[in-house]
Amino acid sequence: MLGLIKKDLFMIKDSIKFLIIILLIYSILAYQNKIDLSFLLPFISVVLMMTTFNYDSYNKWDAYVTTLPMGRKNSVKAKYLATLFIIAISTIIITILSFAIDYFQTNTIDYKTILTTMFLCFFSTSIIESFMYPVIYKFGIEKARIGIFIVVFSIAFIGEFATKHLNFSSFNKIYVFLNNYWIVILPILLILILYISYKISEKIYLKKEF
Amino acid sequence: MDNILEVNNLYKKYDSFELKNISFSLPKGMIMGLIGENGAGKTTTIKAILNIINKYEGEIKIFNLDNNKNEDKIKKDIGVVLDDMFFPEILTPNDINNSMKSIYKNWDFNMFNDYLKKFSLPSNKQIKKLSKGMRKKLEIITALSHHPKLLILDEATSSLDPIARREVLDIFQEFIQNEECSILISSHITTDLEHFADYITFINDGKILLSKTCDELLEQYGIVKCTKNEFKKIDKKDYLKYQKTKYEYQVLIENKKEFRKKYNINNIDRTTLEDIMILMIKGEK
Amino acid sequence: MEIIINNSSEIPIYEQIKNQIKTKIISNELKAGELLPSIRSLAKNLRCSVITTKNAYEELQKEGYVKTIPSKGFYVSEINKELVKEEQLNKIQNLIDNAINVAKINDIEKQNLLDMIDILWEDK
Repeated sequence: MLGLIKKDLFMIKDSIKFLIIILLIYSILAYQNKIDLSFLLPFISVVLMMTTFNYDSYNKWDAYVTTLPMGRKNSVKAKYLATLFIIAISTIIITILSFAIDYFQTNTIDYKTILTTMFLCFFSTSIIESFMYPVIYKFGIEKARIGIFIVVFSIAFIGEFATKHLNFSSFNKIYVFLNNYWIVILPILLILILYISYKISEKIYLKKEF
Repeated sequence: MDNILEVNNLYKKYDSFELKNISFSLPKGMIMGLIGENGAGKTTTIKAILNIINKYEGEIKIFNLDNNKNEDKIKKDIGVVLDDMFFPEILTPNDINNSMKSIYKNWDFNMFNDYLKKFSLPSNKQIKKLSKGMRKKLEIITALSHHPKLLILDEATSSLDPIARREVLDIFQEFIQNEECSILISSHITTDLEHFADYITFINDGKILLSKTCDELLEQYGIVKCTKNEFKKIDKKDYLKYQKTKYEYQVLIENKKEFRKKYNINNIDRTTLEDIMILMIKGEK
Repeated sequence: MEIIINNSSEIPIYEQIKNQIKTKIISNELKAGELLPSIRSLAKNLRCSVITTKNAYEELQKEGYVKTIPSKGFYVSEINKELVKEEQLNKIQNLIDNAINVAKINDIEKQNLLDMIDILWEDK
């Protein structure tokens, strides 16, 4: 299975240059307070994973992988793990960038706000992809694409809107909340949703004919 | 002789196409050519063998194991080249080598690199930037680099130029120098398989028309070319199919020797697989 | 060892291989006890199928020209020259027999036939 994850990661290395440019542009915009950087997280990871799905479908990798030992069983699992890995790496990079921008703007770093935002972003991105994947496995990337873009961008837009227009006091409340209960409940919820999504995708894939 | 692959009564129904009672077996150490028109059922048969499709009736045994119950065990020792299915084309040969290293236990990292050199394939170029022939060669060496015992090749030589095709066929013959190894190769280009395959299985319209040794087909089958009057004398059970052209009758027979003994018609040609294929499909009875 | 295959010949390929190896054995180009190439490497080098070379070797074995040692390969047998000669004479006898039959059917004189042999013999 490690080989299948590697394959997904090799596939996105080509997009890295493009992503660095985007990150730089957005960091400058964020520095000028024009945009919130956290919006990038769902964007980056969804675009990257959609790229892998696109090429997989174009070259019928899903059929080819069934001829490899353990292929049919592990292909879906590998996709989910690669996705989590990419979300995690993107989260780390964007968090560090946010720290830096905050420091350059104010000479201090508001760890609490940034970490909370990033945690919520990580959570919502994972949820978005959990909803996407069973649809992709069921209908194929071609048919699933339009629906997915609508879902992703509306969620991202709502997220962006929410982070910009909620004042700090309500954020603090959430943070207090998280400190008490949600810090435990959100991850559990996330794992549960991921697991259900994975099981549905797996079931669809195992029955699939190519 | 042990069979490395056995297909028994394979049946698969699609909306507009049906695969009917496909049965054949491939002995160890041999090459079997699967021939037939495009859309005859060659690829569907191969997909069933590999479980790329899995809802079908019938039994398929590979290495004497059921292909469904022992899927992973079997697939460790199979190498495949499929028509139009491969690693995503954004990857490079190096990426394939590094991924496969973690997929197959006995992946031979160095052998893969040696093959790349042998075929002058760039290790760092994306697949999509390779020519059609190079891409096929890459698929073939990918199928070979874990030392499989059974190679399953669907139209693996069709897109190659004559020189590349020869190189590739040489690799396949090198592969069966080990008498534990076998090849199942489908092609609609029959000349690829002539004299190279040990067995020929001919599929048409979802059914097997014949499955015999290649030598039997090439040495025993014949085409009688005769006049209408001569043709009328030939007993129906003594020929397989005939075709009427403007000037002559072409009659496909199963055994030249027997035919010569019985009839006084001397104009009997040798056949090629292509002749047999065309007459079997287009000919009348 | 040279073996030349003619793909357009009426003679089956396995028979061509068989005949050529046989000739080499009779002419002593291949000596008794010599190891022949394996079925598979011969097939590879002649670009023919394994079944073809296998047939050729099996026929040679049946006729006593080669013997097989399991898991080692095929070796040239010690052949009985007298026996081979006798076998060849038999073959010639059959061919002449055929010729005589054709001659008799077509009312051709014996002397004609003998003259023909003389001329052909000298020509070779």
